[in-house]
Amino acid sequence: MINARTTNVHQTEELAGAIASLARPRDIVVLSGEMGAGKTAFMRGFAAGIGVSPDETVSSPTFTLVHTYDTGKIVVHHADLYRLGRLSDVEDLGLRELADLGDVVVVEWGDVASDVLGDHLVVSLEADDDDEDTRQVTVSVAGHTWDSRWEQLKRALAKWGD
Amino acid sequence: MLILGIETAVEHVGVALGDHRGTLASATVNSDRRHAESLAPMIEFVCAQAGVTLRQLGAVAVDIGPGLFTGLRVGVAAAQSLAWAFDIPVVPMCSLDVLAHRMSRTEDDVVAAALDARRGEMYWAVYKPSDGRMTRLTEPVVTPPDDCAIHLAERDQYVTCVGSGFVRHQESFEALTRSTMRADEVTWPSIDDLLSLAGQRASREEWVEAHMVEPMYLRVPDAEINWATREGR
Repeated sequence: MINARTTNVHQTEELAGAIASLARPRDIVVLSGEMGAGKTAFMRGFAAGIGVSPDETVSSPTFTLVHTYDTGKIVVHHADLYRLGRLSDVEDLGLRELADLGDVVVVEWGDVASDVLGDHLVVSLEADDDDEDTRQVTVSVAGHTWDSRWEQLKRALAKWGD
Repeated sequence: MLILGIETAVEHVGVALGDHRGTLASATVNSDRRHAESLAPMIEFVCAQAGVTLRQLGAVAVDIGPGLFTGLRVGVAAAQSLAWAFDIPVVPMCSLDVLAHRMSRTEDDVVAAALDARRGEMYWAVYKPSDGRMTRLTEPVVTPPDDCAIHLAERDQYVTCVGSGFVRHQESFEALTRSTMRADEVTWPSIDDLLSLAGQRASREEWVEAHMVEPMYLRVPDAEINWATREGR
């Protein structure tokens, strides 16, 4: 597990970009954190880091369920499970299949359906009680898809080391 | 009765129109996952080729899987829309039934149909052919190929194997004696087979209303998401 701390939203975006730069086709990243914890900010930084054009508006897919960005080199899907009530609804989105077929998938509130998602990276964002801009960021993995990149990831996130 | 068949459960998209005389027009496009973009123009195309309008349809048949989730959704939604719009029934077709149907005249005891499910698994089911009709002996499941190989070995019958599952996981079935591999020739469910099998079913009125059609995913048992344990939602 990697612990980090960002002190403003720009740092959260930058940290997300650092993770994105190590992302590969078939990766699934699960984002957990309360409302306002910075999940959409993370996604903005992640999208930029993976090469999505700055002209693209990255917004929360709470009502549209999945937003898809195509960089020309890789396709990134941003999903939000917040409005879903059943695992079959999650399955309907076919997120794991999208990853299987070579895309990258980032799933907000994905922790409630981690069994459906298979191997993934978990990024959890938690607000700090003392400072409203500070976020405690915890990165962990389910499965082995990040094993060979783990040390690199540690180094990439060291500057926000907690 | 005029039936429109839709196949989107695999990598290619297939559309066909037919009636009691057989297939009137059909089209297959290797879509590279562009199911949504390909489907509507293809339906238009086959209707134009056959010289019919959608209003003349008596039923719509659609592959409900198991197969590619992203494709299934497109086909099922299209079939439902047409069924609602023209007040016609839907004939839901299992991809493995369609695959097995091609072998309905085999001399072997049973037919195993399998589609690759990725992640080292496959969707499969076993059928018994008799008088040109197939009866499912096992319900479709998703398992590692070895489970299927063990099942077939224990059956100890002459088996014809079809579908991409046997191509992708060939090595798991090498030790299987009394088997005939036909998977290289019959790899995917074909739109013509789908239409012909759907025609048989439609003649027996084995169809459902649009809202009853659901994709067959097989992956996880359904459950309520337990949001209660998640604070701060």
